[in-house]
Amino acid sequence: MLSRVASHLYWMSRHLERAENMARILDVGQSLALLSAQDGEDGRNAIEPLVITDTIDAFEATGRPPTPENVARFLAWDPQYPSSIANCLEASRESARTVRGAITSEMWETINDTWLQLQQQRSAGGQPVDTRFFEWVKERSHLFRGVTSATIRHDQPYLFIRLGTFIERADNTARILSVKQAAAAGARSRVPASASADEISDYYSLTAVLRSVSAFEAYRDTYRDAVDARRVAELLIFDSRLPRSLRFCFDELDAILRELPQQAGRAARRLAATIHAGLAYGELTEVLSLGLHEFLDRFLRDNVQLGQAVHAAYLELK
Amino acid sequence: MTPIAPPAGIFDEMLDARGDCRAQYGAYGSWLASTSADAMAAKRAEADLIFRRTGITFSVYGDEGGTERLIPSDVVPRIIPGSEWSLLERGLVQRVTAINRFLADIYHGQEIMRAGVIPADQILTNDQYQVAMIGTRVPHDTYAHIVGVDIVRNSDGHYYVLEDNLRVPSGVSYMLSNRRTMMRLFPDLFRLHAVRPVEHYPALLLHTLRAATEVDSPTVVLLTPGRYNSAYFEHAFLAQQMGIELVEGQDLFVKDACVWMRTTSGPQRVDVIYRRIDDNFLDPLAFRPDSMLGVPGLLAAYRLGNVVIANAIGTGVADDKSIYPYVPEMVRFYLGEEPILKNVQTWICRRPDDLKYVLDHLPELVVKEVHGAGGYGMLVGPASTADEIARFAQALRADPRNYIAQPTLSLSTCPTFVEEGVAPRHIDLRPFVLVGRDVRMVAGGLTRVALRRGSLVVNSSQGGGTKDTWIVDEPGSAAARSHAEAAAGLALEPVQPSALEHVAPLPLEPAVAGER
Repeated sequence: MLSRVASHLYWMSRHLERAENMARILDVGQSLALLSAQDGEDGRNAIEPLVITDTIDAFEATGRPPTPENVARFLAWDPQYPSSIANCLEASRESARTVRGAITSEMWETINDTWLQLQQQRSAGGQPVDTRFFEWVKERSHLFRGVTSATIRHDQPYLFIRLGTFIERADNTARILSVKQAAAAGARSRVPASASADEISDYYSLTAVLRSVSAFEAYRDTYRDAVDARRVAELLIFDSRLPRSLRFCFDELDAILRELPQQAGRAARRLAATIHAGLAYGELTEVLSLGLHEFLDRFLRDNVQLGQAVHAAYLELK
Repeated sequence: MTPIAPPAGIFDEMLDARGDCRAQYGAYGSWLASTSADAMAAKRAEADLIFRRTGITFSVYGDEGGTERLIPSDVVPRIIPGSEWSLLERGLVQRVTAINRFLADIYHGQEIMRAGVIPADQILTNDQYQVAMIGTRVPHDTYAHIVGVDIVRNSDGHYYVLEDNLRVPSGVSYMLSNRRTMMRLFPDLFRLHAVRPVEHYPALLLHTLRAATEVDSPTVVLLTPGRYNSAYFEHAFLAQQMGIELVEGQDLFVKDACVWMRTTSGPQRVDVIYRRIDDNFLDPLAFRPDSMLGVPGLLAAYRLGNVVIANAIGTGVADDKSIYPYVPEMVRFYLGEEPILKNVQTWICRRPDDLKYVLDHLPELVVKEVHGAGGYGMLVGPASTADEIARFAQALRADPRNYIAQPTLSLSTCPTFVEEGVAPRHIDLRPFVLVGRDVRMVAGGLTRVALRRGSLVVNSSQGGGTKDTWIVDEPGSAAARSHAEAAAGLALEPVQPSALEHVAPLPLEPAVAGER
């Protein structure tokens, strides 16, 4: 297939996945903020979505006070911020429009309809940042993924679509885990409160991590025990059955890259296989001895490198 | 609903002079009579939704926000009896065959000029005449593979060819979408009528493109200027329907005088390019050096016969206004037949007799600059002041070779669902003719409709819409058929068009490909 088309398919799904992840982060952040308000928290939760998405500077440039609402509006709707939900949905639809010939009409209609509904919400005066809006974003993303899987042939275009999804998803899970863990650790050291208050703060913070990656039920079913930071990390990094774990993403990425044309993709395949081996045969104790933060940092760098290798191999016009 | 009658003297597709339904509209008329305005409005809303959802839109040039507009699709079909269509079809095959013979001739033997049928300078000095094509052989001598012929019906009930679009005719996707939508909205009507199908057009087009080369199992691609082009939807749609790659200039490159596309598996050889880009933008090395849309070196590969371009380079000379009046002569010259389809009567002002007639009758004629397009450099006699006419007469005397003149035609009307009800609106017809080893087409084409009352402008950018076009075979006998032919006035004898109103040819796609 055409490199240019592959590139658009890859970014179509990456942008949609990014929009979905942003909605997840903001939704969970908001429900957490409601709880924290009662605890008289210091506003740390409000800027947490900015920390996860690495956008503190960009937000400060807007000059608005970092209230949960302002932060959410910035990440969901700001036209200047390229990865805002609105911009991601727009970019995803624009990619789809460019390669309409390569996707099914059902896929096109779904993503175009999403875009039209987005326009409606915008023109209706509101830039909603409530749960209903975030649910809507998630639903549209799920719908598109379902329509894609059910209507397009599972050959090369489909592989590039999924390649974009899983590279983006792995990035997102690692970020959420990294920031939430740091925040939880920070809270423990900063707040000299009673042990029980500590536990409560931890509990909400950790369940927020789980909920943001739809893993709360999975945690319960797997461990049938109290929510514990180590187990959360173990689940999100190593679980091979959880669709948003790093391991799951790299099972997929490794398999996808094996199916793509071999000649050009050697560097990408090698990198994916290396990361994958670390996840498939690694253990939590190794991660903790290295330090979770350091491990995730390294993972994020590797993942970015994989994205670049994929670009060089398949998506760039040489 | 009851259709509103057209003004006197106008030919209506549905209602005859007494206000009764014509035979082909009999069943539809009864259906319409039993259908309420609310029901029609609901259907139209549903149609709009389908079009918007499927993204059947066209982009508006120069709009910062990349505005996408719907081309309104009317829910009342334009119905043509099968017998009328058979004649149109024969006429189109004849006309397009002659045009291809003409194109092969002017780039090789130039018989028609030597025979004095068309003045040589009118061809050789034409902007659209491509010197690079002289002596370049194309497979099967086919130059125009895809032709969109604009046909109107005048108040006399006869069909006339207004324009032959031989470069990158567009609009076929609307024909296909209209049909798909109408079948979804009105399944009952399709059970009542034997409507000839159009859905196989993409298959026919692919067949045509594959037949355009000698290569076995060729790789065919569709070359688009990109998503900012107003017809991009159509390019993507056709590529998808045919299962071929939709490429932009940047996806192709020329190496060792062959054309390749960049794929995820490395370079792949391209054999046939269905291009939707004008000649001047195809190859920056050969034509406009500032064009980013084309492929450097493409012309060289083409001239060596290593790739087929459809339509061929240099076809534009044959749909130029200065050449149009000679098409009937081409039919006689190359085929030895009388033309089945009539031209609009045209006075060629370079001929002294014609010039004199035109100057004497300016208030009732339409005078066009031969290379003009989009209504520029044009005089519409009946709509002009004495002063304007006088000034135009001066220009005409100064450079008569630059002008042709035609009587003002009145387009036929077709009932259309608008604010005031089901009311008469002017229409034209663009059938799409495909030239492979033989000449083929699907029954019908794109009917464009001027949605504003009394307007003759069917152009989509100026309030025009489209209609599904039904070729319906009447259940009647051969006698009924020949009766219909006579009624439709498709007899072979030449008929003088009556002069009522002006009509301008309005291509859907601008003649110049949209640069980003």
